[in-house]
Amino acid sequence: MLSADFVIATAVGYVCLLFVLAYFGDRRARANKKSFLHSPWVYTLSISVYCTSWTFYGAVGNAARSGLEFLTIYLGPTLVFVGWWFLLRRLVRISHNQRLTSVADLLSSRFGKSNRLAVLVTCIAVIGIAPYIALQLKAVTSSIQAVAGSSEFGQGSLAGIDDVGLAFGIAAGMALFTILFGTRHVDAKEQHHGVVAAIAFEAVVKLTALVAVGIFVVYVGGGFEAIFSRAAEMGVSTPTANSFDDRWLTTLALSVAAIVCLPRQFQVTVVENSDENHLRTAGWAFPAYMLLMSLFILPIAMFGLTSMPAGSNPDMFALTLPISQGQDALALFAFIGGFSSATSMIILESIALSIMVSNHIIMPLVLRYSAVGPSGDGQGVSRLLLVARRFSIVLILSLGFFYFFFTRDSNALAPIGLISFTAIAQFFPVVLAALFWRDASLKAATAAIAAGFVVWVWCSFLPSFESVSPQVSLLLREGPWGIGWLRPQALFGLEGLDPLTHAAVWSLTINVATLTIVSLFTTQSALERIQATLFVDVFRQGSAPQGNFVRGSATANDLFFVAERVLGERRAAAIFETAARESGVDPDMLEPSSEFIGKLERELAGSIGAASAHVMLSKVVSGSDVSLEEVMQMAEENQQVIEYSQQLEKTSAELRSTAQKLEDANAQLRELDSQKDEFLSQVSHEVRTPMTSIRSFSEILLDPGDIDEGQKQHFVSTIHQESLRLTKLLDEILDLSALERGERTWDNVPIDAEAALDRALRVCDGMLRQRGMRVELGERAPATMVEGDADRLCQVFINLVSNAVKYNDAEAPVLRVTSSVKSGNYVVDIADNGPGIPKAERKLIFEKFARGQHGAVEQSGAGLGLAISRQIVARMSGSLDLVPGPLPGACFRVRLDVMP
Amino acid sequence: MADRRKLEAGMAVLTIFGALLLLPPLVYVFNQPISHLGVPQIVIYLFAVWLLLIIATALLTRALPREDSSAAEDD
Repeated sequence: MLSADFVIATAVGYVCLLFVLAYFGDRRARANKKSFLHSPWVYTLSISVYCTSWTFYGAVGNAARSGLEFLTIYLGPTLVFVGWWFLLRRLVRISHNQRLTSVADLLSSRFGKSNRLAVLVTCIAVIGIAPYIALQLKAVTSSIQAVAGSSEFGQGSLAGIDDVGLAFGIAAGMALFTILFGTRHVDAKEQHHGVVAAIAFEAVVKLTALVAVGIFVVYVGGGFEAIFSRAAEMGVSTPTANSFDDRWLTTLALSVAAIVCLPRQFQVTVVENSDENHLRTAGWAFPAYMLLMSLFILPIAMFGLTSMPAGSNPDMFALTLPISQGQDALALFAFIGGFSSATSMIILESIALSIMVSNHIIMPLVLRYSAVGPSGDGQGVSRLLLVARRFSIVLILSLGFFYFFFTRDSNALAPIGLISFTAIAQFFPVVLAALFWRDASLKAATAAIAAGFVVWVWCSFLPSFESVSPQVSLLLREGPWGIGWLRPQALFGLEGLDPLTHAAVWSLTINVATLTIVSLFTTQSALERIQATLFVDVFRQGSAPQGNFVRGSATANDLFFVAERVLGERRAAAIFETAARESGVDPDMLEPSSEFIGKLERELAGSIGAASAHVMLSKVVSGSDVSLEEVMQMAEENQQVIEYSQQLEKTSAELRSTAQKLEDANAQLRELDSQKDEFLSQVSHEVRTPMTSIRSFSEILLDPGDIDEGQKQHFVSTIHQESLRLTKLLDEILDLSALERGERTWDNVPIDAEAALDRALRVCDGMLRQRGMRVELGERAPATMVEGDADRLCQVFINLVSNAVKYNDAEAPVLRVTSSVKSGNYVVDIADNGPGIPKAERKLIFEKFARGQHGAVEQSGAGLGLAISRQIVARMSGSLDLVPGPLPGACFRVRLDVMP
Repeated sequence: MADRRKLEAGMAVLTIFGALLLLPPLVYVFNQPISHLGVPQIVIYLFAVWLLLIIATALLTRALPREDSSAAEDD
């Protein structure tokens, strides 16, 4: 049998364990940046602080009372994380750039570093969260009582203590615990690795506990089917039919807003994020965590409704079911799971809220009423901040306790949480506008949040005291001073709606309307415009440094005094030394530039919030002759001049490129023209030589002199030879020009390239024998099909072989022919051991009329052979190249695509 | 690999359709008094959509380019 004393002792022991975890987690994370504490999994688990005792106990109760509605609380956040790329990634990036510390800091920073807005947001958050903290206190109190009430001896030392006393004890213990481990030091980036480690651990504990209870229930109940059908028989079937009404939509929307704007969620998701890439894991892993959490809620609720005595509190089923089955160990585990979910929420929420209170309310007050300027007292601001935070934690938990105290008679958990959600949802429209709408102004944001909050107080917060205050219940029925259309749950005569939907619809509608309308009618200040650009265009720019200060009379010394107070001496000194090193001067001689002041401001903002940091530095950096507005105007004028000159530059660049193109075209034409001239002169030259000899011989023959028959015969055969050569030359010229112009076409058909090569070698056989050339046949490809014309291909090979014969002056001439198929290419190499082709001529040999220098004298060809060959091969989609060969002479390579 | 703009569009579509599938009127399609293996059909439907969203997000995220980690912070 569990007794209350034993359970409380276990809880205290568990808290001690958390403390140890946080302590060592902190040391480990500090010592080692690559520790697993910086992993995306710990990050994801820490986000699971979203699942509080509302989930652990309240969801079961909610499922038992109103069916599937409990799911919306997890489906909303699922949607936000599924779309992490659009909202969360942007928030995290902005937070890294601006060193944001809270949702209040986000809004204040975006809307011109306004401290008033930060104060408003902080106050609303503190008031709005009070019901949520009360929910946790209530859940822990009820769970201890559920255990204690289960046996007559269970009361132990709790005998005589009512739930208020118990809740007070819990609240006090929690405050002490949070102070001890959340406010040990002020971190420059407000990251609490130790706490996050403890939260991640708690996330595992609560998940395991709930799943264990779920599996146990399914086992005892005889499986899902048995549980559901038994529930259906007893008439407590899931009330699903009417689940998807306006409440479904409302709770879904509220939970979307809550996962982004709840102070503790903003803290773990955005502020504690150490690497943007962690969102990649959290994007699916956190929804998966929530799915696991919700998997057994419905069976537990169904089984509880059918097996527990009527009138038992469905919120406590996760605990009372194991107790009623006599499973003390499991019950204790479930208690620890519920306790985990409550403690993690209270710890983180109060840390997040205390940062807001100290940064946005206490610090500005201190700054205003004490001279923490360069001439201030020697006390460090860090110490003051810590004291402020401890005080805030006590305040926050007290508010939670008071709310619990006043509303302790209402019994369900989930509705209390939804009151908080509605309050926090008032930030959501403004947060969205801050991130996506450039024109949202400070006045609009302030008015929108304030208006939404007032409606929330009237429609949601006030009615929650109905059961304890007769005045409130009268107000609900009659309206103030009997004005019916001001009734909190039927505002402007909107009756018949569910109270939650009513409150959410009115508060958010008025909120959004105010935000948009006031934005359209107000203008932004200069600082607002700067910040709006930094937020809305966060992915468009690099990390543009912002210097919101014009360098005035500030000296490095003054700035150092300020920095030292807030950041501590070591950190301040490090910043100044880095800056000095970067600008290459002695630290004492550092001249603070506006970039440096901007950087310093961001560093300070990390500790005390954007608005306070701005005020603090403004005190130091004063005496500037130019105001920010003037600078903005100057910058805008500059911008216009720059844009104008950029346009001019663009136009002139366009002109330049057009001129260049014309020049190129001209050069090309001239080149073509000169090529044509050259070609003509070469043709004339080539034609002239045989023509001259034909003419002179024919003249001799015509001369009726005494020429003997033998000579006559010789002359005639010379004329014949020369005219043959002439015809061949003209044929080649015609062939080449037809090929070049694409007139001579042939159909590429599948042919056997190896056969063409063999044929060419047979044709050249006589020529080779005549020269006494030895033919080495190397590796040969098998019969290979390529697309082309067999005769033309043969012509190419003959040309190459005859070139090799013609130009070879070696004593023992050798011709080497190899062919192969390599990766889809048919390759023929024709190499010889002749003189080769000098480097200078290698580029030219494929040109028309370009003959190699060697042997040119006695050669008869016109130098068109290679040019023609190359054209032919190109027509077959192949290539003809000169490659380094196996023999000392030249080596030509023909490459053709093998047919697939 | 699909290009980044298309992946971003994919994430947007996933988010929007995920929301539509969970809201009236589309949920009504599966909100029938039928049970599969004893579990009401609507419960199975909601958890299936949920699981689908998780898997699709994991797959899409894998294809998306990582951020440069150095962008995180300098100190």
